[in-house]
Amino acid sequence: MRNFFASPTAVVGTTLLTIVCFAAIFGPWIAPFDPQVFDALNRLQGPSTIHWLGTDQFGRDLFSRVLSGAPATVTFGVGATALGVSIGAIIGIVAGVSGGWVDSTIMRILDGLLAVPDLLFTLLIVTILGGGMEHAMLAVSIAFAPGMARIARSAVLSVRTRDYVRAAIARGESGLYIVGCEVLPNALSPIVVEASIRVSFAIMIGATLGFLGLGAQPPSTEWGLMVAEARQYMFRNPWCVAVPGLSIAIAALGFNLFGDALRDSLDPRRSL
Amino acid sequence: MTSLAPNVIEAAAEKQKPALSIRNYSLAYNTLNGPVSALKNIDLTIGKGQTVGLVGESGSGKSSMAWSIMRYLPPNALETGGAIRLAGEELLDYTPRQMADIRGRRMSMVFQDPSTSLNPTIRLGEQIAEVLMRHQGLTAAQAWVEAEAALARTGITRPKEMLRRFPHEASGGEKQRVVIATAFACEPELIIFDEPTTALDILTARQILDLFNRLREETNVSALYISHDLGLVSRVVDEVSVIHRGAIVESGSVAQVFRRPTDAYTRHLIGAVPNPDRWIGVERPSHPESLIRLEKIGVRYNSPSLFQKLFKPAAAEKSTFWGARDVSLDIRKGELLGVVGESGSGKSTIAKVLAGLEDFEGNLDVGGKALTSRKEIDRAYRRNVQIVFQHPDASLNPRQKIGTIIGRPLKLYGIVPRDKITARVAELLEMVRLPADYANRHPHQLSGGEKQRVAIARAFAAEPSLVICDEVTAALDVSVQAAVADLLVKLQKDTGTACVFITHDLNLIRQLAHRIAVMQHGRLVDFFDRDDARADDRHPYTKALLDAVPVQEAVEAQN
Repeated sequence: MRNFFASPTAVVGTTLLTIVCFAAIFGPWIAPFDPQVFDALNRLQGPSTIHWLGTDQFGRDLFSRVLSGAPATVTFGVGATALGVSIGAIIGIVAGVSGGWVDSTIMRILDGLLAVPDLLFTLLIVTILGGGMEHAMLAVSIAFAPGMARIARSAVLSVRTRDYVRAAIARGESGLYIVGCEVLPNALSPIVVEASIRVSFAIMIGATLGFLGLGAQPPSTEWGLMVAEARQYMFRNPWCVAVPGLSIAIAALGFNLFGDALRDSLDPRRSL
Repeated sequence: MTSLAPNVIEAAAEKQKPALSIRNYSLAYNTLNGPVSALKNIDLTIGKGQTVGLVGESGSGKSSMAWSIMRYLPPNALETGGAIRLAGEELLDYTPRQMADIRGRRMSMVFQDPSTSLNPTIRLGEQIAEVLMRHQGLTAAQAWVEAEAALARTGITRPKEMLRRFPHEASGGEKQRVVIATAFACEPELIIFDEPTTALDILTARQILDLFNRLREETNVSALYISHDLGLVSRVVDEVSVIHRGAIVESGSVAQVFRRPTDAYTRHLIGAVPNPDRWIGVERPSHPESLIRLEKIGVRYNSPSLFQKLFKPAAAEKSTFWGARDVSLDIRKGELLGVVGESGSGKSTIAKVLAGLEDFEGNLDVGGKALTSRKEIDRAYRRNVQIVFQHPDASLNPRQKIGTIIGRPLKLYGIVPRDKITARVAELLEMVRLPADYANRHPHQLSGGEKQRVAIARAFAAEPSLVICDEVTAALDVSVQAAVADLLVKLQKDTGTACVFITHDLNLIRQLAHRIAVMQHGRLVDFFDRDDARADDRHPYTKALLDAVPVQEAVEAQN
């Protein structure tokens, strides 16, 4: 862990992540304008000293809108991932520890679910549950669960055959102790790493759902929704699409690079 | 005869130029904590046709030396001075491109583990032919003919057939022969052998050594033989250098180094080589009293599924692989029972059965009660029978502190009251000759030998009546091995615990065990008292094993 910042990936990832998290926490307070106030005289402007990133089709300040949308986006990404990881990890650990037919049954069902692409699966769930931020989040986490279960299971399997686990079995330890104290702490790092990379996918899927009108609803400042709303003014003022689009990219890239760097530093075999 | 004179002079000049000479060479690795010295002022000379042994324990820098000579160092290597000359040519001045031409043609290398040094997706023949095509400019057809000849020289009976096989279709010994054939293929001036027999069984290792000696005589190649095994080195080399913490502490002829060692470390190394004639074990228990009896124990892997049993009974029987079959033996109270055999002979399977880690068939007779399956093994039995594994790195949970690890059996079986656990852990640490403050450390802060002591302390913490030691010394250096064996004997003496000691090292087991069981292909082939090891009615396999153990200069030097 000490040489975490030795790689450029880690430095870039951490920097981007810091910016995004800063915006998510303080965004609504530092925004110079009210994100919902119309200004009919200053519609679709490019960047200027007053409106740093320009204005949208209703003359709303883009910089303020992006800042006030940050908490929703990051909460969505982290929340959906956390929920998905918890569901997936529990399923995966149960499968990995019990083995035998329980394992086979669970994994075959998950394999079937994995065959459906993430986005399609999410859309399916949203269609059943209905739109809205909370439902979208739930849908993304359910879509993530099979993949996480697979990773959790493989982490458990690689630990399960270690001698210290065998020693615990030979001692006659209870199953709960073996899973909780011997297996889980050692299987945790691949799960954490995968989760941090998954946040970026969650953000992108969330934005996609917003864009399709299935996630956040107007007048929310969710970034995907902002892109969707500004789409028809794209040629008159490219900034109103580019700004939220770039914000999504920066947030996703930040989590992704950070996760990559985390994996490199936690897994010595991958780095040199 | 005057016409011969220039030739003679030339030959003499050739002779003066050693195949390899290393002068005052130093190497360090750049790390986060600054440069760490790996090799210090190394001087080493290998004459034409000579074999020099480089002996040292793990971390001594012997592999760094090999990579320095091959000019294949990691990017953080820092060469701080000196010279490496191949037949007088300075290798340090060569560009990577020039070195690529020299490697394989003028210098080659044989690695420790043949299963990882061959590419699993390429046929063995292509792997030998590749070298010949690259360095000797042969066509593919010529190279294959040449490869067959090279393989035939290594004593493989059907070389043509072997060439067409993939690495997974050959045994460990055959693979190592292919690697050796590849190394010798271009008739190099120097071959570096990096522990070529360590990953092989005793009998195979013996054959590889014989092959090495024969090829060396035939080709007159110079060789650097790197090993940690003193006994083995004494059989193959002319001169030996002992390396310790990156510096050569002693060098000279085999006889000189082994019989009159001048350096304290060399003496320590020689003293640590197990000597089968020097008994260090505990006294034989006066009344042989049975502790656990194994009756017709069998373990199958790949047992047929219900579907197979119902519909394809013949195929089902065939697919079964017996890890152990019909093994019957008894373990007596307070004794040390040695179990020997090659890898895959089923000795570890027996250990797992005893520790309740493997499903078995047959009877496990404990104090008059017969256990017939793994499920019948209860906690009382598990407390009584403890196991210590081969790899100390893998047998301790990396996330727990040493104190937690050793204290766990105390807590689990309620051996001491909760408030006395810390004190008992300190006692146990002292018993295995570790400082008491190690309780607050994590396993990665300990050396391999220290970790193994912790594992032993954990086993003895349960106050068991039987401790199973599954190759506990195999992953350790010679000198650490001796200390661990010594510790086990001491603990046995203090506690009267019986011990099943599983090993492939016959010399070591003859120092420790009262009785020895020999296993082969999952079956018990021989079971005898230590004193009868050389008796005439021993099983031929036992005899072969005993004969394969290197004749040891080192051991003779001890006497």
